[in-house]
Amino acid sequence: MATWFGTTNLRCKKSEYQGENVVAVSDNNKEYVHIKPKEQFDFFHDKRVRSAFYQFLIAAAVAWFAWSLIGNTAQNLESRGMHTGFGFLKVAAGFDSSFKLISHEPGVGTYGRIFIIGALNTLYISALAIILSTMLGFFIGVLRLSSNWLVSKVALAYVEIFRNTPILIQIIFWYIGVFSLLPRVKNSIDLSFGTGNLLLNNRGFYIPWPIPGDLLWLSGVAIIIAVIAVVILRRWAQNRQDKTGQIFPTFIVSAALLIFLPGIVYFMTGMPLDWDIPKLEGFNFVGGASLPPSFMALLFALTIYHASYTAEMVRAGILSVDKGQDEAARSIGLRKKWAMSLVVIPQAMPAIIPPMISNWMSTIKNSSLAIAIGYPDMVSLFMQTSLNQAGYAVELVGMTMAFYMFVSLTISWLLNIYNKRVQLVER
Amino acid sequence: MTIIKASPTPALPAPLSETSVIGWMQKNLFSSVFNGLLTIAALYIVYMVVKGMWVWGIADAVWVADSRRECFSINPDGACWAGIFAWVDNIFYGRYPREELWRVNLGILSLFIWMIPLWLPRVKAKISIGLTTVFLYPFLAGYLFSGGDKGIFMQIMLTAAIVCLAGNTIHATIGVFTGRSLPEFLSSLFGKKNVHEKTQRNIFLGIIALSFVSIYVWQMSWSLGGVSWTKWGGLFLTFVVSGIGIASALPLGIILALGRRSKLQVARVLCTSFIELFRSVPLITVLFMATTMFPLFMPEGFVLNRLVQVIIAVCLFNACYMAETVRGGLQTIPRGQFEGAHTVGLGYWQTMGLVIMPQALKHMIPNIVGNFISLLKDTTLVSIIGLFDVLNMLRAIGKDRTWLGLHIEPLVFGALLFFLLCFVMSKYSRHLEEKLSTNQNN
Repeated sequence: MATWFGTTNLRCKKSEYQGENVVAVSDNNKEYVHIKPKEQFDFFHDKRVRSAFYQFLIAAAVAWFAWSLIGNTAQNLESRGMHTGFGFLKVAAGFDSSFKLISHEPGVGTYGRIFIIGALNTLYISALAIILSTMLGFFIGVLRLSSNWLVSKVALAYVEIFRNTPILIQIIFWYIGVFSLLPRVKNSIDLSFGTGNLLLNNRGFYIPWPIPGDLLWLSGVAIIIAVIAVVILRRWAQNRQDKTGQIFPTFIVSAALLIFLPGIVYFMTGMPLDWDIPKLEGFNFVGGASLPPSFMALLFALTIYHASYTAEMVRAGILSVDKGQDEAARSIGLRKKWAMSLVVIPQAMPAIIPPMISNWMSTIKNSSLAIAIGYPDMVSLFMQTSLNQAGYAVELVGMTMAFYMFVSLTISWLLNIYNKRVQLVER
Repeated sequence: MTIIKASPTPALPAPLSETSVIGWMQKNLFSSVFNGLLTIAALYIVYMVVKGMWVWGIADAVWVADSRRECFSINPDGACWAGIFAWVDNIFYGRYPREELWRVNLGILSLFIWMIPLWLPRVKAKISIGLTTVFLYPFLAGYLFSGGDKGIFMQIMLTAAIVCLAGNTIHATIGVFTGRSLPEFLSSLFGKKNVHEKTQRNIFLGIIALSFVSIYVWQMSWSLGGVSWTKWGGLFLTFVVSGIGIASALPLGIILALGRRSKLQVARVLCTSFIELFRSVPLITVLFMATTMFPLFMPEGFVLNRLVQVIIAVCLFNACYMAETVRGGLQTIPRGQFEGAHTVGLGYWQTMGLVIMPQALKHMIPNIVGNFISLLKDTTLVSIIGLFDVLNMLRAIGKDRTWLGLHIEPLVFGALLFFLLCFVMSKYSRHLEEKLSTNQNN
């Protein structure tokens, strides 16, 4: 009996077989017996042995490799007199960051704080770039599908040009070729039509910054109430439509709710919001908030570059929906607009979202190219400046990579949840 | 009333939009008022952009000048392409010694000669041509580019590469004219066409051995002067880094992908974590890791130069992305193919190599080329680490004393260069995809 029959029992004539491993007598025909094949254990050709052996071999090789790396590193660190450990995170850093969302004083703030500043800067610019590039990308993607020949070709040119050029060249171009060539502070470009609120010059982009007053929280509460009201309204409208078929103008009513309810509260509480407007004092602007040219250049480059990818994804997603879906929707009397938003787009979303989220991840990763133009993000602040100042190469590089891994893995975890939900809805 | 007519209805004329320009315009540009406005707006944007670029880049541009000052005095509003022309050698070759440039050119030329047969339809044995390109060409190119003393290993590999290149070229020429392979041609040349296969093979091997020995003796008579890697630069360096990356990413990626799909628990966990680690961090952090931490990893006294560090980092990084592409391709193969291969008695490696991979690779070609494009674009990142690749060379123009402040033109030139390379690659992959997909339908 060959082993490869596994555990399947064989049927044999009773008279022909006198072995030991008989399992049972056959039910319908007493002439036959079921016999269990004798398993021959062949050590050198057994699948499990082999698999265990290979796994052991791989594990041993990797362990040896890791061990020798760690050994070498320890030896090298010792012979170069380099310190190790995370104690440096509590040591004061003697340098400042040119852009920061939380306060930091050189000589007082620690390296731990520098890490947080870098992380926040990276997340801040990535979040802005993700939002803007997704909006721009959807817009370009829709233009790409336009029935207008010229418009779709212009969108195609946009996509091809920006997708096929390295992002690093684009970042440097925006920085050196655009935002550094802006006029000096005295001749700032006013983007708010002469009111002096939005000012652009070669030191950056100056915007007014809100100073909340005492009763501003009431307006905030009003916004929350308005949002809840809108949710309830939509549910009610949906129910009514399901029952009676009447369509309620949800969009206009909810827009009015969202605008007027907080607005009325805001005016009734006496407009408790002041704006800190940038003013020219001496050679520079004081007040308001400012975004340095490197920030603007990185934001522009990331937005434009990733929008070209998003556009292609949107286009591919919409085209992946069968044409018959649109035609069927049109034939039951839906207008083009409704056919698109109720039938085509919901089906395109599962095809658009996963690549778009990986595009968001690469936006975050590409924001690390800030190092080329001196925007103080995670890599440039922590991996470069701190490394030059403090040493601790292994710890700094490890922490930076861990930060990016944490962000990426969080996002892909969310993506997995989304994918599961979409699959459940489908079946 | 009859429904069936005796004579056929005459055909209607073709719709207006198919026959006349105005009809086409009406259908595609002015189908509604909104569309008409959109067309006009788009036309205006296109006009402004094209006009601006034309005036700046061509009409007002200065093509011949000795310095940026002179450019300014001729026309301050246009581009100063003269600076690019003055630096063109630097952009393409970096600081490679000028009298040795022929070596770089010869290396690139030999790559072309090596690979052209892959595109000729009548040439046979393309797989072995491809394999020799990956495994032998690097030795030829490496010695041409860096020169110096030839060790015994280098001598053997260099000789093998030269023999192979010559063999390839003759094989391809014969293939184009007669449609036969080199061994077939040789045996018919000696009139041994009908003798035993073994005899034919022995004749062929004898000729190879003879040429190997003679070339080995010949190559002992000369050697090239050493050129340090620090002198490498420009587009040449970009091609070296991305070329090695491309050549090694696919095999490494296949191994990693197979590991990730393997039934061996340990291999799967290791490959998965390796892939996910490298895919979740930016390339620049990997490059930094290579330059700061690789020296610490090495045993004492063993020093890797920066170029090698960077190349290792680029290879590992791209192998992980390639692994995901390969995994995607493997997932498109139906289970029946694996089961069928098992049924006819193929083992794991035979199943993969003979049944699964050939099908999967075909599905993956567009994605693989996409990976290559992003690798080529990502290679510009090595300029941040301080290698003088094409981007760093372009940025150096603006720091040169005679061309001080010339920043925009070099960047535009670089963007154009990369655009051309990447665009051609992506169009070619589209073409390949269409070609293969029609093959499949037949």
